[in-house]
Amino acid sequence: MLRLPIRRTRSGDFRVDLDESARSLLGHLCAELEALLESDSPLLARLFPPPYGDDGERNEGYAALAVPELIEHRRASLEVVRASVEATRLSADDLMAWMRSVNDLRLVLGTLLGIEDDGREPEVPDDLADTYAAYEFLGGLLEVIVVALAD
Amino acid sequence: MSTTAPMEVRDPDVGFEESLATPWVVIVWNDPINLMSYVAFVLRKLFGYSKEEANKLMLQVHNEGRAVVANGTRAEAERDVFRLHEHGLWATMQQD
Repeated sequence: MLRLPIRRTRSGDFRVDLDESARSLLGHLCAELEALLESDSPLLARLFPPPYGDDGERNEGYAALAVPELIEHRRASLEVVRASVEATRLSADDLMAWMRSVNDLRLVLGTLLGIEDDGREPEVPDDLADTYAAYEFLGGLLEVIVVALAD
Repeated sequence: MSTTAPMEVRDPDVGFEESLATPWVVIVWNDPINLMSYVAFVLRKLFGYSKEEANKLMLQVHNEGRAVVANGTRAEAERDVFRLHEHGLWATMQQD
C-alpha cells in the first residue's frame, strides 16, 4: 500500500515522514523568507497583490492596513514551521501553517525563477538550478500536504 | 433599573451608503505558480464550498483566467480578499 509521507492518523493529527535533508531544506528556506519579509524586495510582490485593480488610492488604503497584518501572519506561520520542522507528528493547525508557508515559498521562488506558463518546463539558467530544485521540492511537499488535509 | 440611561445613538451615515450600494464581487485570478489542488482546497476551507463546487471554481480560474468566488458589501469583500491573500491567492475585488 502506498503510504504518503504526510498522512492523517486515527487520532486526527498528522504523521510526518520526511528525511533529514527535506526538513533541513524547509527550515533553511523558511528562515530565508523570514529575513526577506523584513525587506521591500520585489520578490515579495506576489504575496501582497493590490486588490482594487488600477485604483491606486484604494490600493494604498488597503495596503496600509492589510500588508503589516499579512506580514505578521506570514511570520507567525513561518515560526510554526521552524519550531516543528523536526516533528514527526503535527496538529491540523500546524500543518495548515506548513501549507501556507510552503505556498509562500513557492510564490517567492517562482517569482525569482520567472515562472510564466502553466505546465511548461521553464528554461532555468545554471545558476538557478538549485532554486528550481527547491521549487520542485516545495511543489511536491505542498501537494502531499493538501492531500493529507483534504483526506 | 433606570429608564433614563443615555441611549446609544448610531450615526445614521455609517454604513448607509454601503448598504444601498451595488454589491462587490471577489475574484480569484489564474496564476502560473499556484497548484490547482491547493487553490481548490483553499476555496473549500475559506468559503465552505463542497469539493465539487470548489473544483468547478478552480477549473474556471484555470481555464477562463478568473472566477468570482464570493460577494457582499465592500467590507465583506475586503475581508475575503484579505483571507485569500493570506493564503497566497491572487484575489481582487470590484463592484458588480
